Amino acid sequence: MKIYVYGIIDSNDGIGESTCGLEKANVYNIPYRDIGVVASDLIGPMPDVTEDNILAHEDVVESLMENFTVLPVRFHTVFDAKENILSMMGDYYTDFKDNLNRLRNKVEFGIKVIWPAEKIKEHITSCYWKSGRKEVVSDDSPIKRFIREKFEKYKIDKEFTEKANRLVTTIDIFLGKSAAEKKLEKLKTENLLLDGVYLVEKDKQSNFKEAFEHIRSARTDLRYLFSGPWPPYNFVILPKKSRPLKISEQATMFDKIIQKQNPVGADKT
Amino acid sequence: MDNVLTKSKDVTLLEVLDRVLDKGVVISGDIVISVADVDLIYLGLRVLLSSVETMERLRGAPIVGPMQEPT
Amino acid sequence: MIVNRMVETDFPEEFIEEIEKSQDSLPRKIDANPGNVEKGLAKLVLTLIELIRKLLEKQAMRRVEAGSLSEEEIERVGETLMKLENKMKELKEIFGLKNEELNINLGPLGDLI
Repeated sequence: MKIYVYGIIDSNDGIGESTCGLEKANVYNIPYRDIGVVASDLIGPMPDVTEDNILAHEDVVESLMENFTVLPVRFHTVFDAKENILSMMGDYYTDFKDNLNRLRNKVEFGIKVIWPAEKIKEHITSCYWKSGRKEVVSDDSPIKRFIREKFEKYKIDKEFTEKANRLVTTIDIFLGKSAAEKKLEKLKTENLLLDGVYLVEKDKQSNFKEAFEHIRSARTDLRYLFSGPWPPYNFVILPKKSRPLKISEQATMFDKIIQKQNPVGADKT
Repeated sequence: MDNVLTKSKDVTLLEVLDRVLDKGVVISGDIVISVADVDLIYLGLRVLLSSVETMERLRGAPIVGPMQEPT
Repeated sequence: MIVNRMVETDFPEEFIEEIEKSQDSLPRKIDANPGNVEKGLAKLVLTLIELIRKLLEKQAMRRVEAGSLSEEEIERVGETLMKLENKMKELKEIFGLKNEELNINLGPLGDLI
């Protein structure tokens, strides 16, 4: 039997009859000093990434969010025994405490914005041609023509990126006002102008939502996805406890991967 | 049948997957190989190995209820 | 289920498409199958070469923009860039690799290319 972990909370009390977790198991709090690890017993094999398991995990974390500050733990975090958990807590206690204090009473919102990349590039291209672009490169040889094409593409891409930056900045000016922290990714794909997450204080949620509605109605040429309130998945900061692998460890690691890809006798325990 | 309801559920699932598989606290059982302090390869061994195939399965099938038995 | 009311959009299909596209260039799984090791290695090497080639191209464009290259220099740089591009096309064909496959996800730094 192993122990499946959902999150770290700022309480060492019991958590009562809350949502059940994976395998419909009872979810309980393992106290460590003044904080706790929320977990359930795992009797069967390691859980696969199925819709049921994912949602069961998420449900637990969200129900914790109602009454506690919770640091969500990644799916599939499993320990062999309680001692291992307590030992891990010893290593991470200060980091967890810092995060819990920083994230108290805050929730995460996700904003994704799609813009019509094709159309915008067409527009930029026609502006580029109309502007009587300076003949930076003559076209008297195949190589010069090659360069000219490259250059045109370069200029258009550059303007495209700059336009994206300006638009994201504008959007962020509104949303950022009610946010404590944020993480923005621009042009993850050509059409995905913005993939952003914002950390917002609970009592500023409506301000944030309002700011979003304002943008949505002002820029109807864009498409929006608004999600939240989430537990602060994107805002937990843990120091890197990583290290470069030694050659001997690499061999063991590759063995493990190969074993996993070709399970002998399809043994799943 | 790909109606709007199904698609809404799919996009919700993608959002949940992104957070639950990729974000949050990562402790123990994971090997991270880094170069110049940049995490290049995450080896949450069992998660990543199963998650890529399963995510593709999840995306491929219209999601209308509990998944079939995973292989 | 709480999670059902948490994601709002009028365009779920478009977002699904873009989200999935953005996840495509994630070769996080290490393919240790002996048959595929060479292809994996070729991918890695070609990715790095492609990176350098694109950086060279970009730098050349910046200099063209700034007007700091003579006609002769433009000709020379152009010829080299053309040859590099054609060579890369050849190599990609030989190894059966597409543009999208030549990428490495650097986590917080985004994609390499």
